[in-house]
Amino acid sequence: MFLRMIRGTLFRQWKKMLMIAFTIALGASLATAMLSVMLDVGDKVNQELKTYGANITVVPKSASVLNNLYDVEGGSAGTYLDEAELGKIKTIFWAFNIVDFAPFVSTTATLDDGSEITAVGSWFNHHISLPTGEELDAGVASMRSWWEISEGAWLDEQSAGDQADLCMIGIGLSEKYGLHPGDTLHLSGASADRTLKISGVFDAGGEEDDILYAPLNTVQAFADLEGKIDSIEVSALTTPDNELAERAAKDPSSLTVAQYETWYCTAYASSICYQIQEVITDSVASPVRQVADSEGAILNKTQLLMILITILSLIGAALGICNLVTASVMERSSEIGLLKAIGAQNAAVSGLVQTEIFITAIFGGIAGFFAGWGFAQIIGHTVFGSAITMRPMVIPIVAVLVVIVTLIGSIPAIRMLLRLSPCEVLHGR
Amino acid sequence: MTKQKMFVRMITASLVRRRSRMLVALLSIAIGATILSGLVTIYYDVPRQMGAEFRNYGANMIFTAAEDALTSEDVAQGTAMIDSQDLVGCAPYRYENVRVHESPVVAAGTNMEGAKATSPYWHVEGEWVSQSGQIMVGANVAESFRLKIGTTVTVSYTPEIELKKGETVVDEQRDYEIVGILETGGSEEDYIYMSLEDLAGLTKKEGTLDVCELSVSGGTDVLNSYMEKINSTVPSVKARLVKRVTASETTVLTKLQALVLLVTIVVLALTMICVATTMTAVVTERRKEIGLRKAIGAPNSSIISEFMGESVLLGLLGGILGSVLGFLFAQRVSLHVFSSAISFRFWLVPVTILVSVAVTCLSSLLPIRSATEIDPALVLKGE
Repeated sequence: MFLRMIRGTLFRQWKKMLMIAFTIALGASLATAMLSVMLDVGDKVNQELKTYGANITVVPKSASVLNNLYDVEGGSAGTYLDEAELGKIKTIFWAFNIVDFAPFVSTTATLDDGSEITAVGSWFNHHISLPTGEELDAGVASMRSWWEISEGAWLDEQSAGDQADLCMIGIGLSEKYGLHPGDTLHLSGASADRTLKISGVFDAGGEEDDILYAPLNTVQAFADLEGKIDSIEVSALTTPDNELAERAAKDPSSLTVAQYETWYCTAYASSICYQIQEVITDSVASPVRQVADSEGAILNKTQLLMILITILSLIGAALGICNLVTASVMERSSEIGLLKAIGAQNAAVSGLVQTEIFITAIFGGIAGFFAGWGFAQIIGHTVFGSAITMRPMVIPIVAVLVVIVTLIGSIPAIRMLLRLSPCEVLHGR
Repeated sequence: MTKQKMFVRMITASLVRRRSRMLVALLSIAIGATILSGLVTIYYDVPRQMGAEFRNYGANMIFTAAEDALTSEDVAQGTAMIDSQDLVGCAPYRYENVRVHESPVVAAGTNMEGAKATSPYWHVEGEWVSQSGQIMVGANVAESFRLKIGTTVTVSYTPEIELKKGETVVDEQRDYEIVGILETGGSEEDYIYMSLEDLAGLTKKEGTLDVCELSVSGGTDVLNSYMEKINSTVPSVKARLVKRVTASETTVLTKLQALVLLVTIVVLALTMICVATTMTAVVTERRKEIGLRKAIGAPNSSIISEFMGESVLLGLLGGILGSVLGFLFAQRVSLHVFSSAISFRFWLVPVTILVSVAVTCLSSLLPIRSATEIDPALVLKGE
């Protein structure tokens, strides 16, 4: 009989029930969309912040002081990193978080008129196939996203090969020597001469405007530095630093075993640096504070903002559902009065009403969940151009929210109905 | 009793007598209005607040000498062109080659308060330089010379003067107390830092600067207009933008704003539909009443106008309540997230009220129309 009554309500009053289901679906979709976006916003914004360039630099252990401090010429400082070890960066614990990296080797080259310029060898859009099967295009094309190409085009390393006699020059050099894309440039280095064709002129708005960039192997060949690099810039997705990370950055050995595990297995800039130092022989990896710190601050603020907006919309969704459930239960006062008049117990009445609403809520909630997932994807694609990853934890949160809200929403209304005396209700007062 | 009076009386009576149900409706409208005004306020405030966060990336404009030398007067003239509200910090720098333990090091003289503002990412172990006779050393310098905080170091400087025959260069030497070690992960770690006055004292030369870093809040357009203004009106200063910072900031900020906009639209759309369904439910419930009115001879137009009057009143109350609550919410968010107050946007109040009135009216109009079209006898009979 109970089932039959419920079926009766669901089928005969399907319009009203559909409305309740619709509202619950709206609330649930709002909750799902906001929760998914909120949980994923950190990763997405982190990706966007990669436009600021590398947040970790790796240099040889002793060169870090020598080269910069004494202005020693490239070849004589004597400490370099090994190019063959580059691939190891993608094998560390947080390899997945390393989105981009590029090696650099810099040297001075003499032009035909005797003037010296700085030539830097690097990757442009170097294609790496990792043993893990991952494919990656890394290099300055993505790590210097703020470069404005004022003439010509980016050097395309993939089609030209990494020994190509091509280069890109800064706008400062272009103006000073009157060089333009298509022109050739004769450079003499420490060991050999090379004639390079300019493929593009860039405007970096800084010191790099007076530098020539060429493929890594080209520069290594004429500077007599085969297989050697003098720095690596790494762009990694990191977690904002906290007190533990700061302590660990100073001295990892000061941590307890448990703290060390936590630190090592969290993507702090300092732990990623530590792991890079483990795989690259004789290297010092340090976070670029200008980028790393600001990233942390912006990430934290964005996440907090999204959390608060999510809370507001969750409250909104909850109250909206509550409201409609209350309104629709109160509407059925005469039906409930009739039930009571023919002898239904209060418990039976409220059980009946709640079960009906509950069944409706399940359908509404499921529909809403998928709708919300759709909304989240729309937001992800329009704003970030990539899909929002669905976190499994969203499902239980939304489910619990829908159940609690519908049950609580119907309680005040049911209590009010139960207080009514049947004859008054039936009489229509 | 006039017609208007009766109209007002019927509306207020229906609101007061059906207190609980009207409260439900009012609550839902107020929630909708709160979300509207709160989110829109946040949306408009995000660029400003986030822009301030982006100043963490440091200087986005630099002044260099357009002619021969940059002086502090030139810098002052240049910064005067920038609205003082937009200017986050200004740090003049002067670099000189000095020697520590007889090894060459670059010494930078700057205004410490300015450097703190333009380079918030500098991590200083120990203290910032606060008085004359103190220096901060970069982490690399500290490591290679084994310098420790609290110790004193001798810095010597060779004056660049033309020597007459038989003269020898006399080095200037000063002792400085190391108060802090600077970590940045960049080339700053290779320098030592002191106040401009100390550097002038050491080198016996005053006034010239090499570069001045500025941190200016504002989008690329604002920065470009400042740059052009300064370049055209102050001939001795060449202002340039730090493309790495400005270009990236624009990219990220645009995305963030788009995110908040889209979230606002989705939340608003869903909340408005919620309000609409609640209003529909509340009105549908009163089909009997509508039938009764029609049975005693009320024309459709008067029924509709009375219900509309109720809706307008509800929308108005909800809108006002929502404007206030929404502002309070936005204020809380702003204080919590960005630790700064939000400015009250007066135009948002009428907009919120208008939108809530419109949504309430529209959502009650449909069920009222369908109710008035039905034969009163059928409605009253309960079919």
